[in-house]
Amino acid sequence: MVAQQDALLAQMRRGTLQYCVLSLLENEERYGFDLVRGLAEMDGMVTSEGTIYPLLSRLRRDGLVETTWQESPTGPPRRYYRLTTAGQAALEGFRLEWRRFRDAVDHFVERTAGS
Amino acid sequence: MKSTADKLVDDYLNRLNRELAGVPRARRNELVQEISDHIAEARAGLEQESDAEIRTLLDRLGDPAEIAAEARARFGVQPRQRNWHDVAALIFLLVGGLILPVIGWFIGVVLLWTSSAWTTGEKLIGTLVVPGGLALPLFLGVIAVSGGSCSGEVGGGLECSPDTSTPFLAVSFAIALFLAPLLTVAFLAHRMRRGDVAPAV
Repeated sequence: MVAQQDALLAQMRRGTLQYCVLSLLENEERYGFDLVRGLAEMDGMVTSEGTIYPLLSRLRRDGLVETTWQESPTGPPRRYYRLTTAGQAALEGFRLEWRRFRDAVDHFVERTAGS
Repeated sequence: MKSTADKLVDDYLNRLNRELAGVPRARRNELVQEISDHIAEARAGLEQESDAEIRTLLDRLGDPAEIAAEARARFGVQPRQRNWHDVAALIFLLVGGLILPVIGWFIGVVLLWTSSAWTTGEKLIGTLVVPGGLALPLFLGVIAVSGGSCSGEVGGGLECSPDTSTPFLAVSFAIALFLAPLLTVAFLAHRMRRGDVAPAV
């Protein structure tokens, strides 16, 4: 039962992670390292930082983000990620669905804890 | 000169590259590059670089096998299993030439290069050490024993001394030629990508 729950949580993280990435890019461009550390700061979201890079690559291939190389003040140029129009649309679509889903689940599981 | 830290990072990236066998080449190169950049950024941010710091940094990145499993999941690449194709490649490379002279070994080479279980470098080793597999040393051995003179070898580039005045050298050479394909196949079997780790984030 516990193993099942772990698997479910891992699936939920995997499924929602891409929208967390898109959200981080909503207002500003970020380079890989910065993006990864931004996600890792949030407890429980990412256990292995390296696993974010396959996701970034996939998002780029799907046209949800695009990249540009920019000079860095400290070292070699960095690859910056930024949201595309399609990425913005995907994020907004998810946001609506997520709120409905979250409220619905909360309605049941938070029944005793809440009012 | 390379520090221990550089070596740790190099080992990590090499392992990652190997684990990514089967992921399309462009994606694979991109991933290794990105993660290499990540490590460089992280190292630049360290106040004082120690081996412990580097190890912590690599731990945070995660096991290369886990990253590769995630990449396969994101790109819809089937997880690698040990399959008959890869095993057959090794068998044909080693003894194919004995079962079907010359052709048997070529079948092994084709199977090797059409497999995604090995990197290009490993495939090159598998092809070049030793062409013909065990068939070559045995073939040369038969010629040496029966004829005494050996010319026109199959493998190319091999020269026998005109007489049998250097038996020690000849014997060492024969043993090396016999061991090389065995070691190569053992190496390839060891490097074969197989199984999978459950993708985790």
